[in-house]
Amino acid sequence: MNILLVLIPVTALVVIAGVALFFWAVNHQQFDDLDTPGILPLLDEPASDATPAPAEDTTGKP
Amino acid sequence: MNAHAAWGHPLLLAQVLRPRHDGRSEAALRVDALGEPRRALALEQAIRALPGVQRVAILPAARRLRVVWDPRRLSLDALVERCAAMQCPARPLPHDDADDARAAELHDALKRLLVAGMCMMQVMAYALVIYLGAVDFVDFTTRGLFRWLGLVTTIPLVAYSAQPFFAGAIHELREHRLGIHLPVALAVALVFLASAYDTLRGSGEIYFDSVSMFVFLLLAARYVELRARHQGNAQGDAAIDAAPLLAQRRHDDGTLETVPALALRAGDRVHVAEGDTVPADGVLESASARLDEALLTGESHPVLRRHGDALVAGSVLLDGPVTLRVERSGEATAVARIGALAIRARQARSFATDSDRDIARFVARVLLLTALTALGWLLVDPARAFDAALAVLVVACPCAFALTAPAAFTRALTALARHGVLVTDGTALTRLARVDTALFDKTGTLGVPRLDFAGIEPLRGDAREEALALAAAVARESSHPLARALADAASPLGPARQAERVEAVAGAGLRGTLAGRELRLGRADFALGHALASERQRDALLLADADGAIAAFRLAERPRHDAQATLDALRAAGVAPCIASGDAPGRVAALASTLGIADWRARQSPDDKLARLRELRAQGHVVLAVGDGSNDAPILAGADVSAALASGTGLAQAQADLLLMDDRLDGLARARAIAGEVQRIVAQGRRWSLVYNLCAVPFAAFGFVPPWLAGIGMSLSSLGVVLNALRAGRAPRQELRA
Repeated sequence: MNILLVLIPVTALVVIAGVALFFWAVNHQQFDDLDTPGILPLLDEPASDATPAPAEDTTGKP
Repeated sequence: MNAHAAWGHPLLLAQVLRPRHDGRSEAALRVDALGEPRRALALEQAIRALPGVQRVAILPAARRLRVVWDPRRLSLDALVERCAAMQCPARPLPHDDADDARAAELHDALKRLLVAGMCMMQVMAYALVIYLGAVDFVDFTTRGLFRWLGLVTTIPLVAYSAQPFFAGAIHELREHRLGIHLPVALAVALVFLASAYDTLRGSGEIYFDSVSMFVFLLLAARYVELRARHQGNAQGDAAIDAAPLLAQRRHDDGTLETVPALALRAGDRVHVAEGDTVPADGVLESASARLDEALLTGESHPVLRRHGDALVAGSVLLDGPVTLRVERSGEATAVARIGALAIRARQARSFATDSDRDIARFVARVLLLTALTALGWLLVDPARAFDAALAVLVVACPCAFALTAPAAFTRALTALARHGVLVTDGTALTRLARVDTALFDKTGTLGVPRLDFAGIEPLRGDAREEALALAAAVARESSHPLARALADAASPLGPARQAERVEAVAGAGLRGTLAGRELRLGRADFALGHALASERQRDALLLADADGAIAAFRLAERPRHDAQATLDALRAAGVAPCIASGDAPGRVAALASTLGIADWRARQSPDDKLARLRELRAQGHVVLAVGDGSNDAPILAGADVSAALASGTGLAQAQADLLLMDDRLDGLARARAIAGEVQRIVAQGRRWSLVYNLCAVPFAAFGFVPPWLAGIGMSLSSLGVVLNALRAGRAPRQELRA
C-alpha cells in the first residue's frame, strides 16, 4: 500500500491545480455570460461591415 | 457634426468606463433593440469587428450590452456611433458600484461552491476507503491515515466554503432573530468538531463525508438562487437606466448644446424634454410642470411644480418640455442620488421575506427538539446524547422548507423573463395567483393606433402612397406609437426612403430632411410652424414642408395583436377584464365590443380610475391593473398587482410589479399561470418537509438514526424539494414556441 503515499499527494496537487485554474477563470469573467456563446455558432453569416437592410428594422414586426 | 461627440467628454468617460486591471475598459450600454435575437447578434458581430474590442456580452432581458475594449484604440463615441449605424441606438450607462458588487457576490459564491465540490469528492473517496476497510483488507494504521486525510480535506471546506453560513448565523444572532443559517451553522460546526475530536483521539465515528455533502448541496442551491435573483433585478436596473448622463444646455441665443450632466454649472439653463429625467437640482423657469418623484420619495402621485419651485435631480418630467436653472450639479446631486436609488431599489424587494417568519418559528422548534433530545438522553444514557441530538438537528433542519420558496420563485422569474415579463417585486407573484379582476387602460395598452388608407388626406394633390411614403421616411426613425403606426402602414409600399437628421421634438412631432427638403410630421401647429391650422386638421397628424401642409393622417385604433388571446386566457383562468379609459365613450365602446369586454368606463380621469379601483377592491376583488406608463401611475400603485408595458425607460414603469417587454400582452396570462404553479409547488414543499420531519424526528430522537444517515436523508430531501421547485415555469408542451 506504499503507493498510496505517492498517489494521495498527487491527487491533492491535481485538486489544488484545478481549483487554481477555476479561480483564474472566475476572476476573468468566464462564467458571467453563459448564454451568448451558445448562440454564436448558429449565425449563418460572418461578421460584415454592411448595415442590415433597412426594411428589416422597423417594419419586421410579428 | 458627430451627434455622439458629447460621449467623448472626459467627465462622462469617468462616469461610464470601468477601468480594468489589464488596462482595458468596460462599459454597459442600454440598447432597446436587443429584444430581437437576429439584430442583437448582428450588433454583437459588428462591435466585435471594431478595433480593440475584446469581449461583448449581451443581456437581452435587461436590454444591456457589456463591452470590454482598449480605450486607446477605440473611443466611446465611435462605439455609440457604430451602434447607431446598425439601427440599434445605444445609450452608455453610468458604471454602477452595485453592479460590481453583484458580480463580486456571484464570483464569490461560485468559488465557494467549487471548493466545496472538490473537497467533497476527496473526502468521499477517503470515507469510502474507511467503509471498505471496516469489512476488508485495509489495516488499522492505514485507516487512521485516512481519517486524518478526511480531517485535513474538510478544513478548507468548513473554513472557506461554509463561511457564509457562519457569518449569516452571527448576523442573525446579532439581530435577535432565528433564521435558516443558525441551525445549518450549528449542525456543520458540531458535526465537524465532534469528528475532529474523534480523529484526534483515534476512536469513534467520523462524519466528514456527511458534513461536506451537506455544505455542498446547500451552496449549490444558494448559487442557483443568487444567479436567478440577480438576473431578475429589473427595478435597480431601471433606476440606472434612467440616470441622466447628458443634459441639453440652452445658450443665451436659444440654441441647445448637449453636454455631460456633470459639466453643468450653477446658473446654466437646461432644457428638459417630456419623459426625461431632471439632470441636476435647480429652479423651474417655465410656468408649471408635473413630475414623478416616485423613486426619490416613494410618492406615487405626480407632483405639480410651478415657476420658481425647486426640482430635484432624478425626478422624471411627465409633461414638458421645460427650462430649468441649475443650482447645484455634479457628484453632489444626480449621480450620487441615482446610485443610491439603484442600491435601495435592489435591496428593497426580495421574495424571501414573507416566509421568514415561518422559518423563524420552524427553527425555534428544531432547536427546542434538539435540546429536549440531548436532555432526555443525558438522563438515560449520557454516552448517546450527543449522537442523538446531532441526528435530530440534522434531520429536522428546515432546509427543504427554506429552499422551496426561493427555488420556485427564482425559477418562475427566469421563465417569465424568457416570456418578456420582468418581475420587480417577487411577492407580487403570490398576489397575482389570487387576482380575479383585471383593470385595463385602453390607449397604448389594449389598443394601438393604426392608419387606414382612407385616413390619408393629401392636401396638395399628391397620391396617397406618395404622401404616406414621405411621412414614413421620417416616422420610421421614431419609436412613438403614432410614428410606428405610420411606418407600419407604409411597409407594403416597398423599401422605405431614409430621411436624414431626424429629430424628435417632445410632445410635438418629428422633423427630418429628405432629399434636401425639410419635412415636419406631428401636431398641426408644430408641422406648420406657427401658422394656424384649420379646424379639420387640428385633430389629425400633419405632414408639412417649408411650403405648407402636404397631407393629414387620421389614425384609427385597433386591438393590440395579442389582446384578444390574452383576454381569453385570463378569462379562462377566472380573471374578469374591465376597461377604464380617459378616451371618448364611442371609441372605448368600439374597442370593448371588439374584445368582448362588457364592463367599460370612458372619460375617466386618473382620480376616477383610482376611485373605480377602490370600489372594486371594496367589493372584495383582488385587482390587477395594467397600464402603459406614467399617466397610469396612481392605479398602478394602488392595485394589488400592477403591470406596465415597458416600451421606454421611464422610472415610472419601475413602479409596476410586472414589466411587459416587447410590446406584448400575452406575458400576463403566462405570469398568472406560473404564479398559480408557484403557489402549488411551495405548498407541496411545505407539506413534504412536514411529513418528512414527522416521520424522521421520532426515530432520530430515540437514537435509531446515526448522524450520517440523517445527513443523507436531509440532503436528499432538500434536493428532491428543489428539483420539484424547478418544475415551476416549465412550458407545457403544446405551448412551446419555435
